[in-house]
Amino acid sequence: MNRYVKPATYLSILFIACSTSAYAQQVIGAPPEASNMRLVGSNDLQARSAYQPTIHHQGDRWIAYIGHHGGSDDIPAPVNPQTGKPEPNGTSIVDVTDPAQPKYLHHIPGQEGKYEAGGAQMVRICDGKTLSKGDRNAVYMLRSFGGEAHEIWNVADPANPVLVTRLGGLKDTHKSWWECDTGIAFLVSGAPDWRTRRMTQVYDLSDPAHPLKIRDFGLPGQEPGSTGAVPTELHGPISTGPEGNRVYFGYGTNKGGFLQIVDRDKLINGPREPTPDNLRFPEISRLAMSAFNGAHTVFPMKQMPIAEFAHDKDGKARDIVMIVDEAILNECSEPRQMVWFADVTVENRPMMISSYTVPESSGSFCERGGRFGSHSSNESMAQVFYKKMAFIAFFNAGVRALDIRDPYHPKEVGYFIPSITAATDKRCMTIDGKERCKVAIQTNNVETDERGYIYIVDRANTGLHILELSGAARAVAGLP
Amino acid sequence: MRKPLSIAFAVAICTLSGVAGEQPARSEIEGWREIAWPFPRDGWPAGRAFHCAVESCGDEIEVYVRPKIGFCNCDSGVADDDEVDRVTDLDLMSERFAPLESGSAIRIAELPGRLRSYDLRMSDGSRHSAIGIAVSRRCDLLVAVAQGKGAVSGIQRVALDFLGSSEMARWMTAAMDGR
Repeated sequence: MNRYVKPATYLSILFIACSTSAYAQQVIGAPPEASNMRLVGSNDLQARSAYQPTIHHQGDRWIAYIGHHGGSDDIPAPVNPQTGKPEPNGTSIVDVTDPAQPKYLHHIPGQEGKYEAGGAQMVRICDGKTLSKGDRNAVYMLRSFGGEAHEIWNVADPANPVLVTRLGGLKDTHKSWWECDTGIAFLVSGAPDWRTRRMTQVYDLSDPAHPLKIRDFGLPGQEPGSTGAVPTELHGPISTGPEGNRVYFGYGTNKGGFLQIVDRDKLINGPREPTPDNLRFPEISRLAMSAFNGAHTVFPMKQMPIAEFAHDKDGKARDIVMIVDEAILNECSEPRQMVWFADVTVENRPMMISSYTVPESSGSFCERGGRFGSHSSNESMAQVFYKKMAFIAFFNAGVRALDIRDPYHPKEVGYFIPSITAATDKRCMTIDGKERCKVAIQTNNVETDERGYIYIVDRANTGLHILELSGAARAVAGLP
Repeated sequence: MRKPLSIAFAVAICTLSGVAGEQPARSEIEGWREIAWPFPRDGWPAGRAFHCAVESCGDEIEVYVRPKIGFCNCDSGVADDDEVDRVTDLDLMSERFAPLESGSAIRIAELPGRLRSYDLRMSDGSRHSAIGIAVSRRCDLLVAVAQGKGAVSGIQRVALDFLGSSEMARWMTAAMDGR
């Protein structure tokens, strides 16, 4: 008997090891997977593929503005139940004052187009009263309009937005940044004559009705008229404003990325003609990443006290930039895209100090379908989580809550993977010339508010989920 | 003795399942010889490289071709000449290249895209001519570069003949299918 049992055992193990297991795939009706995070409320966002959420405290209300990618092959323009008409994906405006009962207020249509080609992915909000020349009663929403324009809307009445300004004629847009105190905006654009799809247009938007162009900015080799190799395109900047006087630019998506540290004052007030020398002038340094990884989000956290270094005479506090790669391909068809922490205290010698990824085996994520890997982090610098916790959108692994108080040793303390619904769109692969599809959650972007709620949105049309921390994770943030 | 045999059997099956999609290493197209991918590892997996000698092609010409799966411009494809400058592998040979003229539309292995010719300044100071080709299908790219010391028109003619051969078309289609 034994002579048959042993080979059979080996073959069974082999079968399990070599075959594609299906147990990890999500099914409709199954509960969410969670640790130290709890679902508070949700909204289906009209089953639109979602990108950037921005949460704004507006009077006595809390409003979520959510940018969308374009529609899908199956549903290019979902019907807006409020109008009864099909509308190209644009911007969802949701009242989240009661996070358990989010109320969908309005949808502003975006550019026609599917997936990355249409929609209105990006959104930032500034109150008119903080802008020196703005209407004090206005609340301004800066959004992209597909790849062709940036727009500013007055959303003081979030159920009835009014278009204020349009900056058009572009070949692409993406993840812009807007300083609400100065009005300076770093718009990720594709200026028609530049050799790259995405670079920076610096604008003074302190008077949103009358935008003032300051300059175009990019990397030498991207400017009009240049020749030779074209450096990796921009993904997005984050500015620390005039006080910090730095702008951190993330270049690349899933390949050949780098962090560029720029002197903000030199960028705004330096020579503007896009010559190679003028483009180099404001740059302090670059941190090159592996050719395997790109920089979707570069999130600065200056002067973080490091407990381990508390008794050191020098270097007790460090300037840290968290760099988040973006996974692009389904089912682990590329090198792992993850999270990196760089110590940029000595600015001209930035250095990677640690990394974080979700262990694949913890959920057989390569087999679940769709993308597995990081995409983005929260960008709110509100006291409640800043320099203590970071939230990372990890596609089919949901959102991951990290304890980053020691950025040399980031530690996962919670996660939440929403359930799929009938609206969750499929993600397909070509296998031996044939298309094979799976359905999985694709947590795309995440943001937090000052109250401590965490907002995650799904690229595969599953909508918005509002979460809160529970258990040990609350203690990390100092929440009761 | 049975245990090592079982393990060997298991390893063999796993290995076979992993390499089943690979293509034969040798080109049988007249005059062309497959050579090792000559560039260091970068963000994309290595492709295939081929050499054609003076006797067959009138010049020493090399062609490098590889898929780049996951490209982002899923709808617009290879939209303009700047895209060709960005995505072809010219920079693996030299960071210093300049287009000789505007590019043109092309189809390779039934895939639409663009072709553009370049002057390459090599690290040893010599000048080479090159053509860069980028074609796409949905979100995926296939790029090819042909380079040599001769006139760009000759390089383009023999390179397009080579890439248009049925063997290369079969391989390119399979590579884009992930096989």
